[in-house]
Amino acid sequence: MDFKNILLFDSLSKLVGTFIIFFTAVIFIYSLGFIKSKKLEYYFWFFLTSIVSLGVVFSANLIYIVIFWGFLGMSLFKLVNLYSYTDKDIARAAKKSFIIVGGSDGFLLFGFLIYSYITASTLVAGNIILINTPLSLLSFIFIAIGCFAKAGCMPFHIWVPEVAEKASIPVVAYLPASLDKLLGIYLLARIVKDFFVLNDIAKIILLVAGGLTVICAVMMALIQHNAKKLLGYHAVSQVGYMVLGISCGSPLGLAAGLFHMVNNAIYKSCLFLNIGNVEKSSGTVELEKLGGLGKFMPITFLTTLIASLSISGIPPLNGFISKWMVYQGLIDFMNSAGSLTLKFTIALSLVFALIGSGLTLASFLKLNAGIFLGNPEKEVKEAGKLLLFTPVILSLLCLIFGIFAYSTILKFIQKSAGSFVEIGLWQPQLATYLIIAGLVLGLIIFSIMKKKVRTSASFIGGEELLPTEEVKIGDFYNAIKEMPLLKNIYKFAEEKIFDIYELLKKFAFIIIRFLRYLHNGILSTYLVWCLIGAIGLFFYLFK
Amino acid sequence: MKALFNYLIFPGFIFSLVIGGMGWWLERKFTARFQYRVGPPWYQTFLDILKLFLKETIIPGGASKILFILSPLLTFSAVLMFNLMLTENYFLDKSFVGDILVMLYLLIIPSLFIILGASSSRNPLALVGASRETKLMLSYEFIFIISLVIIIIKSNGNLMLADILNNQINRGMYLKSASGTIGFILALFYIQAKLGIVPFDAAEAEQEIMSGTAIEYSGPLLGFYRIAKTLLYFSLPLFVIALFGQIAINNPLHKYSAFVIEYVLILLLISVIKNINPRLRIKEILGFFWFFLFPLGILGIILAIKGL
Repeated sequence: MDFKNILLFDSLSKLVGTFIIFFTAVIFIYSLGFIKSKKLEYYFWFFLTSIVSLGVVFSANLIYIVIFWGFLGMSLFKLVNLYSYTDKDIARAAKKSFIIVGGSDGFLLFGFLIYSYITASTLVAGNIILINTPLSLLSFIFIAIGCFAKAGCMPFHIWVPEVAEKASIPVVAYLPASLDKLLGIYLLARIVKDFFVLNDIAKIILLVAGGLTVICAVMMALIQHNAKKLLGYHAVSQVGYMVLGISCGSPLGLAAGLFHMVNNAIYKSCLFLNIGNVEKSSGTVELEKLGGLGKFMPITFLTTLIASLSISGIPPLNGFISKWMVYQGLIDFMNSAGSLTLKFTIALSLVFALIGSGLTLASFLKLNAGIFLGNPEKEVKEAGKLLLFTPVILSLLCLIFGIFAYSTILKFIQKSAGSFVEIGLWQPQLATYLIIAGLVLGLIIFSIMKKKVRTSASFIGGEELLPTEEVKIGDFYNAIKEMPLLKNIYKFAEEKIFDIYELLKKFAFIIIRFLRYLHNGILSTYLVWCLIGAIGLFFYLFK
Repeated sequence: MKALFNYLIFPGFIFSLVIGGMGWWLERKFTARFQYRVGPPWYQTFLDILKLFLKETIIPGGASKILFILSPLLTFSAVLMFNLMLTENYFLDKSFVGDILVMLYLLIIPSLFIILGASSSRNPLALVGASRETKLMLSYEFIFIISLVIIIIKSNGNLMLADILNNQINRGMYLKSASGTIGFILALFYIQAKLGIVPFDAAEAEQEIMSGTAIEYSGPLLGFYRIAKTLLYFSLPLFVIALFGQIAINNPLHKYSAFVIEYVLILLLISVIKNINPRLRIKEILGFFWFFLFPLGILGIILAIKGL
C-alpha cells in the first residue's frame, strides 16, 4: 500500500504536529489539577481533539482534512458545552462557536471542491496553481474563510472572546488559544506554500484582514473589565500578525507567521492558565474586584508578567522576535511591490501592526496592575504545584525562544518555510548580556553609594493613606473610550453592529418573518397563493 | 577590554551622561532666559543626580518591593543599551545589537517600567500618574512609529542605522524632502512628550499630582530615573538627527560640529514649545496626537511612497 497519498510528513506538518503533542501534554497536566467534575467526558473529548488535530496536520488528502476538520468543530462544541448546566451563557457561547466554525467548514469544503476541480486531484502537496481566474480566487477565499474562522481572524472572530469568557480555563487554553491557532494558521500557511501562487488581490485581502484584526481587536481588548474576555480579544488580535506574515508570500514572511503562531500559542495559553489560577484562588476575574494578589501569588505574578511582556513584544522575549520578523517580511514585501496601492496597503498594515503592539502593552499593563498590584481585598492562596507547573514551563519557553531563538526553534522553522535572509539585525544574546550588565552596573552604583534603606507609610497631603482613596485600575482607558469618533465606534461595537453572527441572525429572522407571513395557516390564503401561481404558470407556458 | 571601555566610557555611559547633562542644562538655561532669569550653572544636572545618590532610600509600606526597586534599575539598563546601540552606530560606524525597529521597541521599556514601578507603589497619585503615562505612551509612540515608517520607505526598506546614515550622506538628508519634514515634526513632538516636557508633562505634573509616577521614589532609586532621563536627553535628539538630518560630509570634525549645531537647535525648539504652551489635559493631548499628527503622518507616508 502506498502511504504517500494518505500521510504527509514534511517539515511543516512535523513542526505543527510537534507543538500539538506538546500542548496536549502540558495542558493535560494542568487539567489534572483543575478539572474536578465530568472527568471522563472531558478527557474523552480532550484526547479526541488532539487525535483529530494530528489527523488534519498529517493527512495528504483534502477529503481527510475536511473530515478531521469537521470533528474539531464538534469537539470544540462539546468541550465548551460541558459545564453548561452551571450557566446558560455557556450554552449560548458554545452554540455560537459551533455555528461560526461549522458554517465556515462548509466554505472550506466548497473551496477544496473548486480547487480539486481545477487541479483534478485531491492531494495536499504537489499542485501549485496561479490565482488567475475568478474561480481560483473564489477557491482561495473560501479556504481562507475556513482558516480565518478556525484561527479567529476578523470578521469570523466573534466566537473567540465569548468562548474565552464563558468556557472553563483548560478548554480555552487548549482550543482557541493554542490548537485552533496552530491548525488555522497551519492550513493557511499550507495553501500559501503548496496550493496557490498569490496574486495582488489575494495578498491585499490577507493584508487588510490581518491589519484590521490587529488593530480592531486590540482596541476592544483595551476597554474590557473581565480578564478572560480581555485575553480573548488578544487571542484574536495576535492572529492578525500571523496573517500579515503569511500574506507576504515570501519565505521570510512565512517563517515569521509560523514563528508567531508558535509563540502566540505559548504565551497565550500561559496567560489563560494563570488567569485560571487567579480565578481558582480568588473566585473572580473582574479587574475591579481584584488587586494586590502579587504578594500572595508570586509565581503566578512572575509568569504572567513574563508572558505579558512577551505578547507585548518587549525585547528580548520571544514575542518580540517573531513580530520583528513579521515587520521585516512586510518591509521586504513593500520594497518589491509594484503598484502604489499595494505599497500603501502594506505601509498602512505595517503601521497598524506596530501600533497594535503598543496598544497590547497598554492593555496588559492594565491587566497586571489590576490583578497583581494595588491594594489586596482579602488574603488568597497560591495555586497548587500541578497548576503552576505548566505556566512555569511555558514562561521559560518564552525566555528560551526569545534569547536563544536562532540556535533553537528558528532552525526548524527555516526548514519548513524555506531559507530566507533577514534584512534587519537583532542579537538577542548580546542584548541580554547588555541588559544584565546594565543591571549589575546599577547595583554597583547603588551599593557604592549605599545609604540607609527604610520602609515608611505613604502619605498624601500629610495624611496617611486610606484604602478608600485607591484609584481603580480598570478605568485606565475610559478617556480613550470617550474620545470623539472612537466613542461612536465603541457604541456600535457594543450594539454588536460588527458581529457577523448577529448580522446573520437578523438576516435569517427577516427571511423567517417573510415565510411566517406566507404560512399563516388560513386555507383561503393558501388558495389565493395557489391561484396566483397557476396564473403565473399559465402565462409562462402560453405566452 | 575595549568593549568594556566602549560600554562604560566612550561612547557609552560616561560620555552620554556628560553630553546629556549638558543638553538638559542647556534646555534649562534657554527656559531661564525666556523668563528673564540667569539660570543654573553648567554642572547643575550632575549635582542634582549626585545629591540623590547621597540620600537614603525610602520604600513605601505595602509596595511590591522587588518590582519597586527593579523598575528604575531596568529603566536605566535599557536606556543605557539603547544609547550604546545608537552611539556605536554614529561615532564608531558599527552596526550593533539591533536595527531601528529594535531601537523603537527598546524605547518603550523605560515608559513600561515607569508605569509598573508607579503602580507597584500603591499610592493613588502614582496610579493617576501611571494611568496618564499609559495614555501618553499610546499617543507619542504612535506618531514616532509613523515617522519611522516614513524613514523606512525613504531608505528603500533599509533598517540598519548605518545604512540610513550613508544613504543620507550620498543623497542628501531626508529632512529636505516634504515627507521627511513631516516625519521630523512628528519626531520632534515625540521627543517633547517622551521626555515629559511641558505641554506634555501631565504624567508628572508637579503642582497637580506631585510628580505623579515618581511621587514615592526617593534617593538613589529616583537617581536612576534621573540618569536614564539625562541619557535620553542626549540619545533621543541624536536618534532624530541620525534619522533625518545627517549632513553630507565625511570629514569627522565637520560631522561632529554639524551634530552639535543641530543638537542645540533641537533643544532650542523644544524649549520654545515648552515656554509658549501651558500643560495640556490628557484628552487634549490624545486629540492632538491622534486627530492632528496622525493624519499628518499618513499624509507623510503617502508622500514618501510617491517619492517626495
